[in-house]
Amino acid sequence: MSTDEPESASDATLEESLKAETDPLAAVPDESILQVRNLDAGYGDLQILTDVMLDVGEGEYVTIVGPNGAGKSTLMKSVFGLTAHMGGTIEFQREPIQELPPEEIIHKGISYVPQNENIFGTLTVRENLEMGAYILDEVPEAQIEAVFERFPVLRERQDQKAGTMSGGQRQMVAMGRALMLDPDLLLLDEPSAGLAPDLVQEMFDRIDDINADGTAVLMVEQNAKTALRRCDRGYVLAQGENSYTDTGDRLLADDEVRQQFLGG
Amino acid sequence: MDVSDVITRGKVTIREQPLLAIAVLATALLALDLLARLAGIEVPLAGGRTFGGELSMGRFSGLVWNGIIVGLIFGLAGIGLSMTYSILNFANFSHGDLVTTGAFTGWGAALLVAGWGIGDIGHLLLVRPGSGASPNEIGASIVQAPLSILIGVIIAALATVVVAVIIDRIVYKPMRDRGGIPLLIASIGAALALRYILQFVYGGRNRGVTSTQDVNTEIAGFSVNMHELTLVIVAISLMLAMHFMLQRTKLGKAMRAMADNKDLALVTGIPTERVVTATWVLGGALAGVAGYLYVLERGTIEFNIGWFLLLFIFAAVILGGIGSIYGAIAGGFVIGFVHEVSLIWIPSDFNAAAAFLIMILVLLYRPQGIFGGVTTA
Repeated sequence: MSTDEPESASDATLEESLKAETDPLAAVPDESILQVRNLDAGYGDLQILTDVMLDVGEGEYVTIVGPNGAGKSTLMKSVFGLTAHMGGTIEFQREPIQELPPEEIIHKGISYVPQNENIFGTLTVRENLEMGAYILDEVPEAQIEAVFERFPVLRERQDQKAGTMSGGQRQMVAMGRALMLDPDLLLLDEPSAGLAPDLVQEMFDRIDDINADGTAVLMVEQNAKTALRRCDRGYVLAQGENSYTDTGDRLLADDEVRQQFLGG
Repeated sequence: MDVSDVITRGKVTIREQPLLAIAVLATALLALDLLARLAGIEVPLAGGRTFGGELSMGRFSGLVWNGIIVGLIFGLAGIGLSMTYSILNFANFSHGDLVTTGAFTGWGAALLVAGWGIGDIGHLLLVRPGSGASPNEIGASIVQAPLSILIGVIIAALATVVVAVIIDRIVYKPMRDRGGIPLLIASIGAALALRYILQFVYGGRNRGVTSTQDVNTEIAGFSVNMHELTLVIVAISLMLAMHFMLQRTKLGKAMRAMADNKDLALVTGIPTERVVTATWVLGGALAGVAGYLYVLERGTIEFNIGWFLLLFIFAAVILGGIGSIYGAIAGGFVIGFVHEVSLIWIPSDFNAAAAFLIMILVLLYRPQGIFGGVTTA
């Protein structure tokens, strides 16, 4: 590996000089809380991500877009310790976390909302929230109250079994659970999946609110146009490697991105 | 509703669900027959068979009471089986032998305390493997030595927990992610190993354990067997304790969460291995106590009692809806009730078949079981 380094470094400078305007790290904030460097990861022996770079700044709202099977969800799961780590580093607040299991990553201040089956359907809404704070000794009533403030419908239905609720409300339960530890970084895997169209915008409004309160958000989203319009910055991931990053608006304006990944 | 409507609907039912119609008809006939028997009416039928007959109210209520006793044993043992199924995702065939483990270890302790100074220590601790002090000499009964019986309950729970956790560490933990079938096969191996270790240690003799002196007394005009009463009280208390544990405590909620969705439990920060251990601790303790209480009620012990119970426990758990502890309790009552009350009509060699027949009939119309789909650990 060490013999390759000078070569790849010179490659990078070459690339940089060639397309200075689309420098892959141009829009990255100076102070990032999450730094993914040259990450290789996958499941079992199957490598899906190759040499992926990713940064999330403090309080930043970052979206990963790309075609199906590009490894977007895998990248998010890798950050949360749910994949096999094969190379590179992941640092959260300057601490390496690439070897940690999810239950320890939670302690560092990252919460994750999976795409599917992201609630405990047979538990009540309130119990779902309590589970979100399992690692604390006491049930944090103040935080439950904060989640109820954010999603008032959950207060009304706190004793209802979460599995009996509508799709939009389930998504609120899932997010509420993830917010119970007041994380510094919230990972959202396709939060709009399966929601009725009129609920999608509402869901994005909620995410804006969460982000506005200071929680950094890293999101994977099928609904790429909306996601890019709303986020601070986007990454385009293709075939397990990241191609570009830029502000959401500029990615939206980019012809190549539009044609390849956003359907024209 | 019109009479013709009822007839039409009845016809549709018979055409579409003939088995259900037969079951309803059979139940109605048996109910009528039961009433006739209780009233002492007998109508001769062909071939020496009769409709109705003789059945005293006392015998009938005795059978119902037995059904409750047996149902409590099935239900108590079934809770652990159902929990390991829903949290660890496999049908644990060694559960029956955990029941036996509790029976032997618990009774070893109970006899030791009750018979201290009367018999040889080895003879007491190994639950009378050969000749020596007789059960009535040792005096292990709730009337003569209540403390020894209670110590036995505690030791049965503790020893079974130790055995269950050791088996989990050695056998199941290394293959946690291999899926249900390899674990099931491994559990059959664990069951055989455990059973023959128990036989090796305690011997294969079927022997009496409890003292029966003065065990039957009268309370408020009813003749009550104190051992059965003890069983009912301990079993119901433990079931209630389990209910509160699962609904109210943090660990109980985490167990329900893990039974619901293991992957989400992991990303939520629930320490899944600790929950698994807690499952073995609770399930093992209940299995052990169930075995101990079973022997308290029947009075004798043998190395394969748990194995013979296992099929009924499985039937109860499946009937109730596997994965639900309330299902295990309800299923236990149904299987136990049918097992005992069916003795009115059929000889005792066939009553197990009646219990399984009811299980099959219920599952045909409710494949997920009585409480299926509402898994609560």
